Amino acid sequence: MPTNLVINGEDRISSRGSMTPLIDVLRDEFFLTGAKVACREGICGACTVHLDGRPVVSCLVPLGTVEGRDVRTVESLAVAGEPSPLQLIMEEHDVVQCGMCFPGILMVLTSFFQERPHAERDEIKAALVGNICRCTGYERLVDAAVALARRS
Amino acid sequence: MPASTGQCLYVATSLSDAVAALADRGPAGAPLAGATWIMRAPIRREERRSSYVGIGGIAELCAVELTDDEIRIGACVTHARLIAALAGAEGCDGLVAAAGGAANPAVRQMATVGGNLCASDFPASDLSPALLCLDASVELRTPGGRERMPVGRLLDVRCTLEPGTLVTGVVIARKSLRTGHARLPLRKAGDYPVAIVSMAAALGSDGLVEDIKVAVGSVEASARRWPQLEEQLLGRPLDPARAHELAKAGAGVFAGRESVEAPGWYRVQVLPTLVRRAAQAALAG
Repeated sequence: MPTNLVINGEDRISSRGSMTPLIDVLRDEFFLTGAKVACREGICGACTVHLDGRPVVSCLVPLGTVEGRDVRTVESLAVAGEPSPLQLIMEEHDVVQCGMCFPGILMVLTSFFQERPHAERDEIKAALVGNICRCTGYERLVDAAVALARRS
Repeated sequence: MPASTGQCLYVATSLSDAVAALADRGPAGAPLAGATWIMRAPIRREERRSSYVGIGGIAELCAVELTDDEIRIGACVTHARLIAALAGAEGCDGLVAAAGGAANPAVRQMATVGGNLCASDFPASDLSPALLCLDASVELRTPGGRERMPVGRLLDVRCTLEPGTLVTGVVIARKSLRTGHARLPLRKAGDYPVAIVSMAAALGSDGLVEDIKVAVGSVEASARRWPQLEEQLLGRPLDPARAHELAKAGAGVFAGRESVEAPGWYRVQVLPTLVRRAAQAALAG
């Protein structure tokens, strides 16, 4: 049975199997390749997207459970081509390394800053425990996130 | 009438629909709530059922109700929702810490209370020891009606429940308790803990322990209480250092499970420290 969902504000229909991980639908069917496939068990955070406004690891979300729901991927963060404040500060601090973990980190921090815009460094680090960076670029991206929290 | 068997995932629209769909599928089917445990099965080369019944959208399974007498937690309440609902509630510090330390923030948005209790091959559940020491009960719906059992009993029988049985929620009687939860992951956070200790203590006006429950998770295949230690802690002030010494002398009652993450002896060896930390957390709460 086809699944109807809203991805980055657009109505979409997928006819993939109901137990197909959402990450595979996003990447293979709709070519939204920002979210990355890595661990496939919810540990690395590279596939994080927003589901009804909350961050989830899309490798563990069966397609059949997202009927009618709102999915946002990293591609939605820049509105009309204008990077979000979080994206801008990451660029300013030259944070990006290989780019594998980075989309998931942006999605987690975007959600986190909506609830805790003035978060302290330790809170930011705690928010990122589910995002593994194989380049070990943690400190610079935490520095950037702290700078954004102070700026806001 | 639910969809016929053979579908990978049928999303139930109500509790009765879910129970009927599960009964219809028999041993080939299983409930699916947060899906975090079931969806990782392929990468771990674990076998999945041929059919699942989605229950995560059933409103009555997603509610947390607090009254003066009890707390009722729907089986599909996520860890994140549990934290939000119980933060600051008397006697719930340990349970909130358990939910807040489990896995990582994105998984906590998905993983549910019922799933944490029912995933029989998941020894590192944080909620199981936290609910064990709160003396929580589990409510179940079966094709024949309703049933209620202690959490500890569910942990014992969860692999042999009749097809069509669904855990619908958890009930905790409200008492004046000091609770604490201590866990040891190998990283600072984000991975499965080596060992977990949860504690709930009722202290008299003289500060002496009138009642206490200690539960251990992740050390053995399933969480369980530590009755020998509980007995030794009764009738005295709750002293973390003394609890540590007693735990050190008595930890041999546990047989640590071997795994690639940690050897069994290490899981047992860290227990006294976690007992001390759980006691400290309980006193600080």
